[in-house]
Amino acid sequence: MEPLSSSFRDPSGFVFSHDGCIYRQVSACFAKNFDSFVESGLYEKLVGRGLLVSHREVLDDSVPGTADCYKILKPQQIPFISYPYEWSFSQLKEAAMLTLRVQHEALKHGFTLKDASAFNVQFIDSKPVFIDTLSFDFYVPGEPWVAYRQFCQHFLAPLALMAYTDIELAKLSMSHIDGVPLPLASKLLPFQTRFNYSLATHIHLHSKVQQQHSDSAGKEGSSKAKSATVSERGLRALIESLAKAVTKLNWKMPETEWGDYYANTNYSDRAGEEKRALVDRFLDTIPDPLSIVQDFGANTGEFSRIAAKHCALVVSQDIDPVAVELNHRENKANGPANILPLIQDFSSPSPAIGWGNAERSSFLERSHCDALLVLALIHHLAISNNVPLPNIAALFSRITKWLVIEFVPKADSQVARLLATREDIFVNYTRQGFEEAFSKHFSIVKSESVPESERLLYLMQVL
Amino acid sequence: MKRLSLAFLFFLTFSQQAAAYLDPGTGSMILQGLIAGLAVAGLTIKTYWYRIRAFFGKDAPTSLLDEEEETQKPE
Repeated sequence: MEPLSSSFRDPSGFVFSHDGCIYRQVSACFAKNFDSFVESGLYEKLVGRGLLVSHREVLDDSVPGTADCYKILKPQQIPFISYPYEWSFSQLKEAAMLTLRVQHEALKHGFTLKDASAFNVQFIDSKPVFIDTLSFDFYVPGEPWVAYRQFCQHFLAPLALMAYTDIELAKLSMSHIDGVPLPLASKLLPFQTRFNYSLATHIHLHSKVQQQHSDSAGKEGSSKAKSATVSERGLRALIESLAKAVTKLNWKMPETEWGDYYANTNYSDRAGEEKRALVDRFLDTIPDPLSIVQDFGANTGEFSRIAAKHCALVVSQDIDPVAVELNHRENKANGPANILPLIQDFSSPSPAIGWGNAERSSFLERSHCDALLVLALIHHLAISNNVPLPNIAALFSRITKWLVIEFVPKADSQVARLLATREDIFVNYTRQGFEEAFSKHFSIVKSESVPESERLLYLMQVL
Repeated sequence: MKRLSLAFLFFLTFSQQAAAYLDPGTGSMILQGLIAGLAVAGLTIKTYWYRIRAFFGKDAPTSLLDEEEETQKPE
């Protein structure tokens, strides 16, 4: 029994995998804190409001712990782990508000969050849920919030940068595992944000004060930090002020070159209708039960919504933050809830980051699924990104058992557009080349042409 | 049973309160006092303002954090 490579920072316990399930050990040094947290009613309250992941205690010896084990918990299992740098603006904002709601409720019960990492949040049924059951420690009246800086780095700074500077800056969280350093955020934010009270204090002033005191580390700094006090009312007001800061941040989505996302296809109405029916039928043909379906190049999730009827969860991914944002908003407003939209660049998917390159796993390590939808994407991978078809087929065969894939030939206007400004070096990018490449890894179960278009849709099963 | 007795030993060996494992940052700890102070002052003023509003029959707004999650409508 080994702790997961992401679970080593907090000595209170750790998460581990046993027989394909995730468990959490509460270590003996945290016994009193954990029991009090449960007895105070806070656990029940948070789980009841859907803010915290539920768990049950493992009462027998069926799951082994380490020598300092106090209790073993089996939390509600998360079907697909995602990370903050893969979330859309609204998802990160909801995760921030969730963290503050949890802290607000904790204070009412005499507890406080000892960390505020965005990695402590996961999405279940389109809603953010706090997953670290051991983050709750006794609140000592007068003590400031230990996780204040972490909250600003993990949530407020990236949200402000996404809203005011560029949405792509969400990726800064990938290169800074403990959140965006405030001096960097302060430097990158436009000057006007210095006149915004929330950002002026929580980011700009915070960064200044932090830099000023970075030199006074050691005894003097430590005694200053220890003597800093905040009344309970003050602490509640601080949390409320952070909530106001987060609420006020809104991302004004840019007008894109495509304009209307739903109309961003070269399909006739009939072709679109037929394609939806074909995808539905192909998914229905798959004899295996489908737990997770991934949709690569999902755009705003039009086909993910079809797939959602056939499986427990669709992980609906696209490179475009606008499309992912629209996808999430649609799911929140009109359902279905079993779609998890994520930002993912398939030409360079999320790497493994952190200690030993193993703290947060790569997209491919997390990317298991029963069926994979790849619609209107292959030409972007093969032509825009020069990836040979055999490499694409090999990669998909590592991820999925079943594949629903659309081949977009050179005669298609979208491919012609991609080739308009460059030399056509893609001699094997033909229907025959495509089928040959994929036949090495998959058996082609079905193929049908999409009416009123040049395109072909395939259902394949991995060999 | 073995696990329980070992756990009990650990329980006795370590102090019951787990130390915070994050470095809160000296500047961040000090700044909170200032921001919290300003926020409390703001709240105090608001409390009076809400009393005046209440006199005219308007309810005081609740905390952003007691409300359930709000959903942004798709555009």
